[in-house]
Amino acid sequence: MTTRGIDYASLSLKDALDLAVFIEEEAKERYEEFAAQMEQHRTPEAAKFFSLMAENEAKHGEELAARRAQLFGSEPQAVTREMIYDIEAPDYDAARAFMTPRQAMRAALASEVKAHAFFVAALPAVKDAGVKALFEELRDEEVHHKDLVTAELAKLPPDSGLSDEDFVDEPAAQ
Amino acid sequence: MSATCDFQAKDYKSDLKPIWCPGCGDFSVVQGIYRALAAIGRPPHEIAFVSGIGCSSRIPGYTTAYGFNSVHGRALPIAQGIKLANPDLLVLAAGGDGDGFSIGGGHIAHLIRRNMDITYIVMDNQIYGLTKGQLSPTSQKGRVTCTSRFGSLEEPVNPLLYVLAYGAGFVAQASPTDLAGMAATIEEAIRYPGFAFVNIQSPCVTYGEEGQQIKGLKAISESLVAMGHNPADRLAAMDLAQQYGQKMHLGVFYRNPEPAPTYDGLVRERQALLSKDAPSPERILDLFIKK
Repeated sequence: MTTRGIDYASLSLKDALDLAVFIEEEAKERYEEFAAQMEQHRTPEAAKFFSLMAENEAKHGEELAARRAQLFGSEPQAVTREMIYDIEAPDYDAARAFMTPRQAMRAALASEVKAHAFFVAALPAVKDAGVKALFEELRDEEVHHKDLVTAELAKLPPDSGLSDEDFVDEPAAQ
Repeated sequence: MSATCDFQAKDYKSDLKPIWCPGCGDFSVVQGIYRALAAIGRPPHEIAFVSGIGCSSRIPGYTTAYGFNSVHGRALPIAQGIKLANPDLLVLAAGGDGDGFSIGGGHIAHLIRRNMDITYIVMDNQIYGLTKGQLSPTSQKGRVTCTSRFGSLEEPVNPLLYVLAYGAGFVAQASPTDLAGMAATIEEAIRYPGFAFVNIQSPCVTYGEEGQQIKGLKAISESLVAMGHNPADRLAAMDLAQQYGQKMHLGVFYRNPEPAPTYDGLVRERQALLSKDAPSPERILDLFIKK
């Protein structure tokens, strides 16, 4: 999780909403990438879960974009996507070939925890009351998402005990 | 050279889906390249991206730039040919440590001495991943692989020291542990007027050792800026570069404060000079056709 050039003290509500949309967009795209990776590596259950996560992130992003449009119309953006990286998107190294649904859900859970940590860390520097309220709302939403994924995890049957290493051939001398 | 326009990272992303192993460090590297290119702002059709052979050499195909996934170890000669034929192109070369420092190792010295305006990005994972885990030129001594069952007896090549010793004007290191820093480093390398080298420690999740994964790399990483390193000090850069393999210094090791003229620039100057007194195309034709 990294950011670049964000001044939380001078952040306006418009900028904060734009950043929030970028965060959701990034997460949506990453989950789509993960789903594609899992499909390529014949791991359909994890692929299905990541596709579902991508749909959820897309929905959140659309809701935030609608709020932004309602409040600020088509006013130009003052922040860019390049200012954020891996806030709610799972880290690239969280993916593995042959992930079980449990491993996939754990990767998603770690992302929700990470996003929560981002808003918690940013809040003390925020000055604008509207931005503060938005970040608090998003922080609390991450807790809710975390609880949802934890509940889904609890419903899963235990893993087989096999690890992804069990499906990888030992390197053979050529 | 064209005027720069407003481009976003996604404008450099092609429709091709990477087929790297899930978790591969190269997923982050390509994101860093998209971001660096967006910051530079050259349109994709003004960029040529050349690679050799290997997992990382697939990278040009994942961008919207003109790409050439060429021959093993031969990315640099091809990149030089492209730059000479069309100096207005922004030319990038990329590959792995095996491609760059084993079969292609001989080409680096000549590119450096010519100082052509090319940025060379090496995704260094200390292993041959595409061919299923053989010892590579940057594998650590003692490393057990399928071609070194009892541990490697060789010292690794030090890519940073290698290019510094040959006199490269820009030498940096980056890692997926810090994508914002990686994008900024690649951007700076591209902006450098001459040969620029970026070594990216990119973990191989399938054949890499635990210490070479993101967590292990984070544990040994240190920012050169935070250390107060002066990138204009070549000897200090060489001193730090000797810690390759033990420490992972991130950022710019060396940036020549007075960049030397580039070969491509000198060739243009000479062409301009010689073409003044050159006979016209019609005159040349006359010489050959008329008796």
